Amino acid sequence: MCEDHFALTRERIDAPALVEHVRTAGDGAVVTFDGCVRNHSHGRRTLYLTYEAYEAMALDKMREIGAEAREKFAIDRVAMVHRLGRLEIGETSVFIAVSAAHRGAAFEACRWAIDTLKRTVPIWKKEFFEDGAVWADGELPPPPLAPAAGAAPPAKAAS
Amino acid sequence: MAPVMAMTAKVLFFGRLKELVGVGEDLFEVQEGTSISRIFAQYAERWPRLAEFRGSVAASRNREFAAWETPVEAGDEIGFLPPVSGG
Repeated sequence: MCEDHFALTRERIDAPALVEHVRTAGDGAVVTFDGCVRNHSHGRRTLYLTYEAYEAMALDKMREIGAEAREKFAIDRVAMVHRLGRLEIGETSVFIAVSAAHRGAAFEACRWAIDTLKRTVPIWKKEFFEDGAVWADGELPPPPLAPAAGAAPPAKAAS
Repeated sequence: MAPVMAMTAKVLFFGRLKELVGVGEDLFEVQEGTSISRIFAQYAERWPRLAEFRGSVAASRNREFAAWETPVEAGDEIGFLPPVSGG
């Protein structure tokens, strides 16, 4: 039933294939987000970027975003792919496609998905400039609740 | 080496923390009653600059974000994660 698609890749992201993947006969809209490598950051010229991830956890978190998007919005399918390794200016670092019967849900879900990815998925970007490299500032994920003494935290928040 | 493995947790460092420590993955001998916070503190004794990042690091246990006081058991996978910057 669920035909969502989540992946990390070191190859170029095939955006048209992801759009085709989410588009079904019942859909009236596909909304996509194409995150691409910009040639400047904080007033400095960027040469290229590298991305690394806690891959197993990142995939888990991406799947959770997909499951939660389904609960929040009246959508059909979600595809979400993030690239790792070295990326050149203009290349796609992340691509999200969301299909829905109606455009409103697709727009909202796609926006929510990229915002949540940027806040909660363990992926890190390093920016390379002519005079050095820096890790991007990044965002701190929301703090988890303190566990009950001795109890293992629940495996998944999604039901 | 199974008995040794059974007493350890796998500890992972990412981004600038990985650069600081010099490795992305380490085995940590787990003692009774230890916590994520105590493990980080012990690494910070060996790499004092780690302590500077304590306030901006998130911790994970077995691939879920976890509170610093979370108990750690042998076989666990503990991650120290700088602020995330995907996208």
